[in-house]
Amino acid sequence: MKTYKTRSTVAYYLFIDILMGIVLVMCLTPFLYIIATSLSSPEAIINGKVFIIPRGLNTQAYRQIFSYPNFFHAYGNTIFYTVFGTMIALCMTTLFAYPLSKTWLKGNKLVMKLVIFSMFFSGGLIPNYLLISSLHLTNTRWAILLPFCINQFNLILLINFFKSIPSDIEEAAIIDGLGYGGILLRIVLPLSGAGLATIALYTAVFFWNDWFNSLIYLKSTQFPVMLFLRNIVNGTTMLGGEGGSADKGALSLSIKSAVILVSTLPIIMIYPFVQRFFVKGVMVGSVKG
Amino acid sequence: MKKTMLVLLLCVALVGISAQGTKETVATTPSAAAGPVKLSLFYSDNATLPFKNDWLTVKEAEKLAGTQVEWEIIPIADYQTKVSLALNTGANAPDVILYQSITGENASLALNGAIVPISDYSAWTPNFNARVKEFGLEDTVAKLALSDGKRYNLPSLFDVPFYDGGIIIRADLLAKYGLKAPKTFDEFYDVLKTFKKNNPDSYPLTILAGPRVLYRFTMPCFGISLGRNASSGSYVLSWDYTKKQYFAGAISDQYKAYITYFHKLFAEGLLDPEMADPIDGTKWSQKMATGKAMATWAYYDQIGGVTAASTIPGFKLQMYPSLAGPAGAHNQPKAKTGAGIVFPAKTAKRADFEQVVRAIDKMFYSEESAKLWCLGVEGQTYTMKDGKVQFTDKYMKDPRGIYKALQQDFGCGSDVTQMVWVNKREMTKYDENYAAINAEVEKMGNVIQELPPRPKFNDVDAETAGSYQTPLADAWERWNNAFLTGAKSIDADWDAYVAEMKKLGIEKMLELYNKNR
Amino acid sequence: MREQHTKQGKLYLQRYWPLYAMMALPLAYFIVFKYLPMFGNVLAFRRYRPGMGPWGTEWVGLRYFQRFFQDPAFWSAFRNTLFLSLLNLVINFPIPIAFAILLNEVRNLHYKKLVQTVSYMPRFVSTVVVIAIISDLLSPSTGVLNHFFADLSGKDPVYYMNEPGYFRRIYVLLDTWQYTGWTAIIYLAAITAIPQELYEAATIDGAGHWQQIWYVTIPEILPTIMIMLIMNVGRLLSLGFEKVLLMYTPANSGVSDILDTLVYRTGLANQNYSYATAMGLFTGVIGIMLVASSNALSRKLTGDSIY
Repeated sequence: MKTYKTRSTVAYYLFIDILMGIVLVMCLTPFLYIIATSLSSPEAIINGKVFIIPRGLNTQAYRQIFSYPNFFHAYGNTIFYTVFGTMIALCMTTLFAYPLSKTWLKGNKLVMKLVIFSMFFSGGLIPNYLLISSLHLTNTRWAILLPFCINQFNLILLINFFKSIPSDIEEAAIIDGLGYGGILLRIVLPLSGAGLATIALYTAVFFWNDWFNSLIYLKSTQFPVMLFLRNIVNGTTMLGGEGGSADKGALSLSIKSAVILVSTLPIIMIYPFVQRFFVKGVMVGSVKG
Repeated sequence: MKKTMLVLLLCVALVGISAQGTKETVATTPSAAAGPVKLSLFYSDNATLPFKNDWLTVKEAEKLAGTQVEWEIIPIADYQTKVSLALNTGANAPDVILYQSITGENASLALNGAIVPISDYSAWTPNFNARVKEFGLEDTVAKLALSDGKRYNLPSLFDVPFYDGGIIIRADLLAKYGLKAPKTFDEFYDVLKTFKKNNPDSYPLTILAGPRVLYRFTMPCFGISLGRNASSGSYVLSWDYTKKQYFAGAISDQYKAYITYFHKLFAEGLLDPEMADPIDGTKWSQKMATGKAMATWAYYDQIGGVTAASTIPGFKLQMYPSLAGPAGAHNQPKAKTGAGIVFPAKTAKRADFEQVVRAIDKMFYSEESAKLWCLGVEGQTYTMKDGKVQFTDKYMKDPRGIYKALQQDFGCGSDVTQMVWVNKREMTKYDENYAAINAEVEKMGNVIQELPPRPKFNDVDAETAGSYQTPLADAWERWNNAFLTGAKSIDADWDAYVAEMKKLGIEKMLELYNKNR
Repeated sequence: MREQHTKQGKLYLQRYWPLYAMMALPLAYFIVFKYLPMFGNVLAFRRYRPGMGPWGTEWVGLRYFQRFFQDPAFWSAFRNTLFLSLLNLVINFPIPIAFAILLNEVRNLHYKKLVQTVSYMPRFVSTVVVIAIISDLLSPSTGVLNHFFADLSGKDPVYYMNEPGYFRRIYVLLDTWQYTGWTAIIYLAAITAIPQELYEAATIDGAGHWQQIWYVTIPEILPTIMIMLIMNVGRLLSLGFEKVLLMYTPANSGVSDILDTLVYRTGLANQNYSYATAMGLFTGVIGIMLVASSNALSRKLTGDSIY
């Protein structure tokens, strides 16, 4: 069937393309500014000459960062927590989401209420700390990998994705003699690419960006690179109290920018790989009649 | 493809983790009989001088004291959080914590037994005691005791506080407009007016980081100290140095005079209106270097960076001695003791506690270690020529300045690890200009006042004081800003302001403070 | 043919035990890591004294609750939080949905992927830097944007970051910039689950582009939208604390003080954990009430709900 290109069709797609172009510019420009300042000389920055093109090109900021002790070590830590944390989280969340997506299951409502309740009430800093401490998880990497493996928000999203899979497919499988475990592994998961990818992405970003939990539960040799970033970028901005000689401890903007780029570029670059899961209508036609 | 990505990432992670993994375990094998004292310690890491395990000072200090230290490097912005958690729960506390003063929560923690009362063990800190005697600080150190009469930290010691920050003005512009260096606030006003007349687009006076820095430096000249960095720590109460008691600085006539002066500056376009937002280091440098501002209160070692970046011919910044206000010429008050070393309660339960204390005492307070933490190692970083310290050529010419270079390369002169500060020794790291300014300031007498004593609260009183402080602090901030910018008139609205502060309990708070001083 | 679910009895367990087995481990996780620490909330009713143990020392009942109920600063912060949150919800809830739908319509696959990736990058610029950049742009002396607006309106440059009137607008717009692309990912994922046949059927029926969006796309992703809405309503009282703290100046404190910053100043800065816990309990209760009511409402109106 031939689709006719009417004027309204052309206008429609043009409008969308232009709109997306505006979004592109607005999101990209600040990044270009950060890239530019990271590659410019401090003198150019101080004299206000840098916008989106680097002036006085030099890589001094990057060289300085790479020479900081423990930088690569911290980077390795971050990758470790992100990869393993996400894997564990995906397993646990999927295991929980699948049964909970069966609203007719006895006990489903109760468990859902438990989950939601826990979203609003947490023990607070000290009780959590004591719990992790009494489980002997402090100063070990498990303190980051275990306590955060199920995020209620992500869980609810995944439940929602599972619910949107038509039940005919599962019923056909049950008739064919497949157990629930098999259904989960061989039918539901392959069809939930987009949902799983979204949750994996959100979880990965959570672990990549986490600094607070690492700060309080880990030894300094296990610190991720985000703490390092915070120290450099925030510096003493949010210090209360006496400040004092710490007020003058500001690093140049070029170093801050370089740190931002180095710490965030990898996680940003994950998205293109995740996008392949956002593919349309894989399940069309899998069930006939 | 997915699988190879994951495997790749895992490999990177494992390589990264193992990188420098071996450096973490300290190599020295304990010698036969006594062996090094093993201890863990919290260190507050400032990004401008990142901690290095192989810093000369660190290695030598450990050797000197016979210790094997596990340094926990914690970023300065979150240092207090981690320390607070460790002390509050008692879980996972290290053996020693650096850079702590016994104020606020620490005072309550100490009184409730979370910190070792180190004054009970002064027999084990001979070096510390010796330095205190040398500097004549017995009384000052005794005053650090809390309401139970015990002292809970080993503070850092200063023999003479030095003038490391103050009013900084464009010397070349002073010369250009034929002005003398101002000595009083009124003269300063005239200087600013001249600047503005010749540069109508500029705002001559700007501030570093935020108004609290300005207040900290200039309020003592008017007899008060208020705000987030108030020397009393109470935000709204100030210390009367003659009567030796607190008074309600926020509603005093001295404050009225202060805010009137600065409102005048603001109204006439002499004060940077963007001061409400924190002005970060880069923006401040920008304003100074490009000539948008000509005067500020800041620190001496920041001058170099700004001068280097400026493209204005003949650009010269100079730090001047403090201006004289109605209460005299003063600068931000400084104590002769500073943040220091604290031992969490569980350390006292160690069988070798005495060794630990003695080792720490030797590591930070002995004569040799004092020289080490300040100057480095003789023969390596400096040599003695005719009894005077001479740094190596490389460092004399270092663009960072000797002070900063020694800090970054060797760990000398860090607030966190250097406990003993001898003024003459410190001066060797600065240029002659700085020494001259300090000499002039010292001649003026009593420029840098002592910090007022902190009240000896028990934690119930501390909680009450805290509950007065927050609403009073908020109210003061709002009114101060309104008076400064002219949103509220100092003449017409002053009484309403005083009435509100009284309603919020400033007088009750004052009573509480004076009762416990 | 709808399958009959076995109603009860031994047959029920025999049939559905794998599902319960799957839930076992995660449920244990929840109880240990989320519910055990909740006992710490008892601190809201006991006086906390630093170093004397985390469960507080003596029972003081509702004292801390009374304290903040009587504190005018608390109510002002409460109002500010509500206003800011509602404004944020009204503006920043629909925008990611619209963005996802429109982005999905882009035909050139490379362009689409590019915009998708770039749109989610702002999420990664740390808040401190975002505020620094926007302060720079809106600076009355040197800000590029500020001069642009001033020229447009013919008036003097306004010190936007300091004016209470602009605080909410700037906050919300910054959120839009930072989170639109990020939140849109969820909706994009939902959109990809829509069967292609529905669109083909609509085209045959003569529906135009906008009609297809209205009659196919939106109804199909409605469950996702409702769930996001319920959760956002539940989180109404918890705003981004860091951003507000950085934008706070004494001049705009009347509108910029929110519950979290108040807790930070009074509770945590004074190490008064009891006070902070009490406030946390209060906001938790309100949050639950909000979720319960929006959940029920959603079930009535659209048939979708979280539980």
